Amino acid sequence: MFAPILVFFLIFKYYPMLGLVIAFKNYRFTDGIWGSEWIGLDMFKLIVHTSQLLDIVWNTFLLSGLSIVAGFPAPIILALLLNEVRRAWYKRTIQTFIYLPHFLNWVIIGGIVITLFSQSNGPINLWLDRLFGYTFPFLYNETSWVAIFVGSGIWKEAGWGAIIYLAALSSIDQSLYEAAGIDGANKWQQITRITLPGILPTVFIMLILKIGQLMEVGFDQVYVLQNNAVAKTAEVISTFMYKIGIQQAQFSLATAMGLFEGLVGLVLVVTANTIARRFGHGLW
Amino acid sequence: MNSTTGERIFYFMNGLLLLLLGLSCVLPLLHIAAMSLSDKHSIASGAVSFWPVSFDVSAYHALMAETPVLRSFRNSLTITVVGTVLNMAFTILAAYPLSKTYFIGRSFFSFLIIFTMLFSAGIIPMYLLLKALGLLGTYGALWLPGLVSVWNLMVLRSFFEAMPEELEEAARIDGCSEWRLIWQIALPLSMPALAALSLFYAVGHWNAFMNVLIFINDSSLFNLSVLVQQMIMNQTLMQELVNVQPDLAMALTPEGVQAAGIIVMTIPMLLVYPFLQKYFVKGVMIGAVKG
Repeated sequence: MFAPILVFFLIFKYYPMLGLVIAFKNYRFTDGIWGSEWIGLDMFKLIVHTSQLLDIVWNTFLLSGLSIVAGFPAPIILALLLNEVRRAWYKRTIQTFIYLPHFLNWVIIGGIVITLFSQSNGPINLWLDRLFGYTFPFLYNETSWVAIFVGSGIWKEAGWGAIIYLAALSSIDQSLYEAAGIDGANKWQQITRITLPGILPTVFIMLILKIGQLMEVGFDQVYVLQNNAVAKTAEVISTFMYKIGIQQAQFSLATAMGLFEGLVGLVLVVTANTIARRFGHGLW
Repeated sequence: MNSTTGERIFYFMNGLLLLLLGLSCVLPLLHIAAMSLSDKHSIASGAVSFWPVSFDVSAYHALMAETPVLRSFRNSLTITVVGTVLNMAFTILAAYPLSKTYFIGRSFFSFLIIFTMLFSAGIIPMYLLLKALGLLGTYGALWLPGLVSVWNLMVLRSFFEAMPEELEEAARIDGCSEWRLIWQIALPLSMPALAALSLFYAVGHWNAFMNVLIFINDSSLFNLSVLVQQMIMNQTLMQELVNVQPDLAMALTPEGVQAAGIIVMTIPMLLVYPFLQKYFVKGVMIGAVKG
């Protein structure tokens, strides 16, 4: 019964790992994966010595690093706010609203963002024009593009991410709050002394998972939001792999970039877990 | 419980803040919907906020008549339905043995599977593999690589593990076969988990974008995501329309047509959203308790 599953994992997960050898070969379609000539670390040397390629690696770090730094606390704060709502129907209604963006894909969100921030007739620039007689190319300026990129990611996932913290919050013993209330602890003290320590294990687990994704900037998000004006900041490993690998058939270089991305991710998640384990909150 | 004035102000501000956050999630979509139903001049002058101005359906008319939106809609449905059925069948087949302590090699296989979560070969080796298998350009390329999601597999496994062993023993004594045990005992008892996982898989397939872009090159097989993305990226549709139906093209703006495309893609999601909501929170919770 388990055999088909094993076959699936071997063919579609482990066999491609063998295919990674083309990062060390000069892959040519006629020679196939195994017949192509070995070139050792040439592709990696190329990456390290080409400033355009290094920029892409740096962009990947920057965009996902900012997304994590700005995006990680958002669901926690949202969960804390939701947890303080006393009327159940109100909480449910707000939850219905804030979970929705998670289910929309990046094409929809990209379309919404482009519409809202369009310089010619997006509502935001229309208001700017009406109030200050001035418009701003939000999508074509690198700084504002990065802000929109990070912001749209938070907008999409913060609500959904809050679910897991709400679950953690609901498992905190309510009598702790009663006792604290009797002892005269105010709201803020209750949050910092009871609530936050209570959800700390969950926070650690989520942080490890997030750090493991540091090298992965979702392809869809970048692809739908990027444009030529911000190409210097907006090209990341995944979109670059698509452009040179799939569209221009430079398979070896694209694979080398992908392998680099994967290895850094693996190292990061193992490191993060080791550190977390030292605090007794490891994932494994 | 009596609350002080300070507390009342706190709860009020908190509620207000959450209301604003909640609205910020819905209003942009409402704006797009309003734009798709407004006429050209209202869109161009920026008169449209959250309600259609000078109601006009020509954007949808152009979309239905001049773009393959209906075909893409059908493609999206095919990808989603077949993909989800395959996903569920294989996830169950994987999760059930792994949940049994008497399954030989259980921890080894678990490691083998979980490791793929931490490290994967990436898109290029997968592309070459699919090419070698002759799956490029077919929906097989969308269904097979993600046949079993490791995360979902672990959720279902912990659900199966939580089932009382006595049930299994009793059934076996009565002469129940392994398949019947899965079909008539394990699965009916795991309905909430199965519903949640099916929904997760289905949403993933409906929203598929990168895989379609990379693995499918025949535009007649494109799903809605790729079609709408192309409409947003380049305005070829409008230029074609000027040649074919100048009257209709005169009544349109690119923004209006794009908005209509976005809404067509969003509506099915909004329709199933109430059902989704019933199960997905539960699904996330199961994963949260035992990951």
